[in-house]
Amino acid sequence: MIPFIVALPLLFAFLTALVNAFRVDRRIYRLLFMVGIVSPWPVFLLKIGDMPVSAIVGGWERISGIEVVLNEYNYYFVLGELIVFSLVGLYALHCYTGRDRSNDTSVRYILPLMLLLHGGILGALVSSDLFNFYVYMEIASLSSIILVSCSADRGAKRASYRYLMLYLMSSFFFIFAIGIIYAKTGYLNFVLIRDNLVMSEEIRAAVAIALVSLLVKAGIFPLHFWLPEAHAKADAPISAVLSGVVVKVPMYGAILFLVYVGIDFFADLLVVIAFASMFFGIFMAVLQDNAKKLLAYHTVSQMGFVLLGIATLDVDAAIFYVFAHTLFKSGLFLGVGTLARAHNTTNLDELSYRSSKVLMVAIIMLSLAIGGISPFIGAFCKNQLLSNLDGFQVYLFYMAGIGTLVSFMKLNYKLMQPGTRSMTVSTASYLEKLATISLALLTLIFGIYWYPRLKYLDAVLIVIAVAVFFSLQYLGLFRKTMSSVFTVDSLGREINLYTGTFVFVIVLFLVQLFY
Amino acid sequence: MLESLTGGYLTGETTGIVLVLIGMYGLMTKTNLVKQVISVNVISTGVVLYFTNLGYVAGGEAPLISSAVMVDPLPATLMLTTLVIDVAITSFALALIMRIREDGS
Repeated sequence: MIPFIVALPLLFAFLTALVNAFRVDRRIYRLLFMVGIVSPWPVFLLKIGDMPVSAIVGGWERISGIEVVLNEYNYYFVLGELIVFSLVGLYALHCYTGRDRSNDTSVRYILPLMLLLHGGILGALVSSDLFNFYVYMEIASLSSIILVSCSADRGAKRASYRYLMLYLMSSFFFIFAIGIIYAKTGYLNFVLIRDNLVMSEEIRAAVAIALVSLLVKAGIFPLHFWLPEAHAKADAPISAVLSGVVVKVPMYGAILFLVYVGIDFFADLLVVIAFASMFFGIFMAVLQDNAKKLLAYHTVSQMGFVLLGIATLDVDAAIFYVFAHTLFKSGLFLGVGTLARAHNTTNLDELSYRSSKVLMVAIIMLSLAIGGISPFIGAFCKNQLLSNLDGFQVYLFYMAGIGTLVSFMKLNYKLMQPGTRSMTVSTASYLEKLATISLALLTLIFGIYWYPRLKYLDAVLIVIAVAVFFSLQYLGLFRKTMSSVFTVDSLGREINLYTGTFVFVIVLFLVQLFY
Repeated sequence: MLESLTGGYLTGETTGIVLVLIGMYGLMTKTNLVKQVISVNVISTGVVLYFTNLGYVAGGEAPLISSAVMVDPLPATLMLTTLVIDVAITSFALALIMRIREDGS
């Protein structure tokens, strides 16, 4: 049964592409797209009753077949993916098959590509086999790269190229690591790898290389270069999916490595990288005047939180944080993206949510959720992460939380001001608002369900954040922008630099391993 | 002869790793975008060479008809997938470079 979770979206991706090519009625095209998006739900709902389940595709033995699983490790990944894709699917249907852009040639291929992305992500999330995971991650990443390049925004092509190069490089290193593991254990299935594992220097080196390539794909700080541009330049539904779901797939890979192979020999280094990522993302986000870039830098920061869960070897904390981030970040991208579409700009000074109360409520709720304020889902997840930290790290963690709040206070403060530009699209459609507010409500519902209490500390955090925000504003920090500090003259040079950093981080991991 | 010169270190695996490093060198030094795509292709060739040699067994036969010594077919099959992905990605990257040039940015 489980293979159908992957097979159905892929089948409908093919069908929608076919219908598109033959220019059949648009209604059939839309219907096929929506059916493809929701098709994994029935299989998923049927199977969650008897979790953990696993199946070998084609009924082979485990040694010679490809195993797919649905268990406690990927349940929340798949659930978050399905929720986000269903809502984003509705949004995209309105956004791309409306009158204004449906004749644009690049738009015609977006919906089939989104289904391909859907199938690719689900395939990676249910696989319990290294090579299968790699192939599906490849499908997902490649379709998201093409989706970024489809955006009409200026600079989207460059962002897409940067994304492509970084991702290709990391893919080849990942598959090289798979080769080492295969040579040493003789298997690609994670369960069999665990059973046949004899820890050796080679395996550790392979895990190091695999982890660094997963960090690139997840957009963790020293290797994040591709992420802010790609996520900011893509269209609203695409960036919601990219930030909400696509960057979580490599994190699932890291969790598989943690559970089945063991990454505890890198724990210290990973904690340092996680904190660096958290603070760097916040620092860059505060300095942005582009609303979508602000959110994209917060993805870098939030992936640091997820990595912190993995680095402290707490699988549950990492999984719950991934689920929470999936909900609130895709909601934020949808909400802010709707505003950006309606105003035809992404500049924070020109945007405003005054004219739409629904979006205002949704964005405020989602901002509280990402800040970890207590009835929302973020509070529960942050608490779990916090329980593994001690001493100095706890203060750092609270500082990161306050930083996130300050940055989102800036976003909301700017959006509350009357924008200098009026909405060009008269009203955002109700479907777009529905998708955003549903995600906001879900963060509240899951938050209350898991953690039904109010923490007084949160009020203190908000007060500190307000104080920091207004003092920073008094100092004039928000008038500065970061774009002028770090510029490289050509795209080619940027790739050189990023490759150098990638090699440096791999060497760092290997040095840490052997000394 | 060659083997005695290189001390047995010149295998398919090491050659593959050297190719990967050459490709990385290209990506770190070349600013021309097409050359970067070629560098990525060099890396991929290295990885494929590395993998196909993983399955090599000295004196082994192709695993079509059962015989005493067979090479491991799995790495080679996996590489088929990677090769297909490579071709698609290379064409996409080249198309993207053309569009970047057209934009003039």
